[in-house]
Amino acid sequence: MTAPRTGAGGPSPVPGRRRRETWLGYALVGPSVFLFGLVYLYPVAYSAWVSVYTWDLVTEARYVGLENYRDLWSAEFREVVANTALYSVGVVVLSQGLGLVLAVLLNNRTWLGAIFQASIFSSYVVSWVAVSLLWIWLLDPQYGLVAYLLSLVKLPSVNWLGDHRIALGSLVLVTVWKTIGYPMVIYLAGLQAIPGDLYEAASLDGAGAWQRFRHVTWPLLTPTTLFLLITLTVASFQGFDIVKIMTQGGPVTSTVIYVYYIYEQAFQYFKLGKASAAVVVFFAVIVALTYLQWLVFRRRVHYAA
Amino acid sequence: MFLVAWLVIAALLGLPGLAGAQGPIVAQFWYSFGGKNREVTEAHIKKFNESQAKYRIEGTFQGDYFQALAKIRAAAATKTAPAVFHVIGEAEPQLWQAGLFENLEAYAKGPNGTNLDDFLPGQTQATYFDYLGKPPAPLFSLPFFRSTPILYYNADLLAAKGVKVPTTWDELRDAAGKLTVREGTDTKVYGFEVPVDWWFWFALLHQAGGSLLTPDGKKAAFREKGTEALQFWVDLVNKDKTMKRPPGKDYSAWEVANTDFLNQRVGMIFTSTAFLNYITENAKFKLGTAFLPAKVKQAVPTGGTFFVVARDAPAPQKEAGWAFIKWMTDPAQTISLSKATGYMPIRLSAINSPEMQAFYKENPNYKTAIDQLKTAQRFPFSAALIEIQREVIQPNLEAAVLGIKTAAEIMAAAEAKTNEILAKTQ
Repeated sequence: MTAPRTGAGGPSPVPGRRRRETWLGYALVGPSVFLFGLVYLYPVAYSAWVSVYTWDLVTEARYVGLENYRDLWSAEFREVVANTALYSVGVVVLSQGLGLVLAVLLNNRTWLGAIFQASIFSSYVVSWVAVSLLWIWLLDPQYGLVAYLLSLVKLPSVNWLGDHRIALGSLVLVTVWKTIGYPMVIYLAGLQAIPGDLYEAASLDGAGAWQRFRHVTWPLLTPTTLFLLITLTVASFQGFDIVKIMTQGGPVTSTVIYVYYIYEQAFQYFKLGKASAAVVVFFAVIVALTYLQWLVFRRRVHYAA
Repeated sequence: MFLVAWLVIAALLGLPGLAGAQGPIVAQFWYSFGGKNREVTEAHIKKFNESQAKYRIEGTFQGDYFQALAKIRAAAATKTAPAVFHVIGEAEPQLWQAGLFENLEAYAKGPNGTNLDDFLPGQTQATYFDYLGKPPAPLFSLPFFRSTPILYYNADLLAAKGVKVPTTWDELRDAAGKLTVREGTDTKVYGFEVPVDWWFWFALLHQAGGSLLTPDGKKAAFREKGTEALQFWVDLVNKDKTMKRPPGKDYSAWEVANTDFLNQRVGMIFTSTAFLNYITENAKFKLGTAFLPAKVKQAVPTGGTFFVVARDAPAPQKEAGWAFIKWMTDPAQTISLSKATGYMPIRLSAINSPEMQAFYKENPNYKTAIDQLKTAQRFPFSAALIEIQREVIQPNLEAAVLGIKTAAEIMAAAEAKTNEILAKTQ
């Protein structure tokens, strides 16, 4: 008698095949892991290595231990951290909040809604360089379109990028303009996943629009909110192009945010060791932040049954 | 049959490859000119390649001077630096001491050599630097595009307001006041604009009678006169409100000043003679140029760049690099390069040639920078120089003009930082 062949779904009766499947799994994942290691882990490890040296690319590197980390704790660095925090909070709060509002407003199946969604999202897919160059001219206090529009309503021109008190805020606004499509689209998906019967049940119980939002929409959107909070925060920490093109960290140092600071230290001042120390700190902070957000919001996430 | 046909075709295709194995020596040239000057540079590279068959130079645009400097350092770290590139004078001491540059003395005196005595004083490496009482470094660079800052003015605007071309700081202040046009709280036309930049600050420092370092190069010497220089700008921008500070860092600000001048939003600017051709071509008004105004004396820095050859490049490429820079600094080329840009010719024979003399008669503005060379100031040959420029002075000038710190505070901090850096590089 021949043994019946087991169908799919049952464990392999032969230990050899199990081992082969495991090895096959590793082999298939291998290239991705290798690339990940090469492109992400290796540079971070290399940065950690360089961070204990002083090196300007052309002269001999000198071992300095933790001196670069001590140097990091300077007034200049603290200003960079403050700028980055302000920028990040501004971008996340505004883009996520306004993105939610837009999603709620455009959550219909009309073609007009689709056109609005598409045009709002279009700025998200355009390159940062193009957007930055465009907005430099729009915001120019003498020649810009914004200055012109302000003059039409008899308001004085604002020096958006040249006033050190508001330059960072201007960058926040440009960033929100560019990226608002993303939270909007994600929230739209989240909204459309909420079953309609919940709204019906709420209306039958006498809930108004605001109460429906507060007790049905908002709680069921918490997974989406959590996801966006993490991704937008991490993304805003990595802002670079907009600073490089629009203000180059100026006026003075008012728009130097973290990644731009790393670039400046490495490629303008040739302090590779200091820049690498900043990279290592950055890496640690982002990992910690991501973990912290996950812990805090884990309990508040409601998944629809 | 099919297979044989393929083999025959492959063989035929391979033959020219074998024959062409003895092609010209190819060397890379990284340059930092965009816009008009880039076209001129590329045209000359092409001309060099066509003028001889032994070497071929491939030019690549690498962004502005500072972006290119970062790339060159990164390339040097991996021993892949281009054979030929050009650098600003301030960067030379540090990079020479780091061993990046080939010593060119032997090349200059060799069979394909060049007459070093024919170079204009003030243009060469030897006359650019003050060697601080130490023996001068050997020849490692040849002047490429060299410049001085000059005063550009809108002659129509000045004539309309009856303003004379200023020759002193006080006259400049006066003229700026007369040229400024205001409508309510809006300033429609500024009298004066200059990038708040190291190069122009250096000019003002010397015009006020100061200097950057002590004669032995061991300590900073710019505090008092540097404050005076910076304070001049602070007063023009904040007190008189007749000077516009162009926004942006490094060369972004220079572009704004040029654009404002061409748009007739400002009556006078300081900028490099390097933009003379570009501004002349695009100005819809009568353009005038003049020396920078004096305080205690007339003084200007020279600027622009020097050709260098990478020491770590393979010997044939270095040879190609030398041939190229020798050709580029020959009288014929320096004439065509100068006429097309506004940068000064670097050879006496070129300036005295009938061609250039006729050119200057027709285009007197091109002569301003050359005449001004007699007031050129030297830079200290110190490895700390580029750091002082990029870290200590350049990023901090803005704060005074924006009213965040006083000029005195900034210069005091700059002096302390400079002495720190100098102590490290001794």
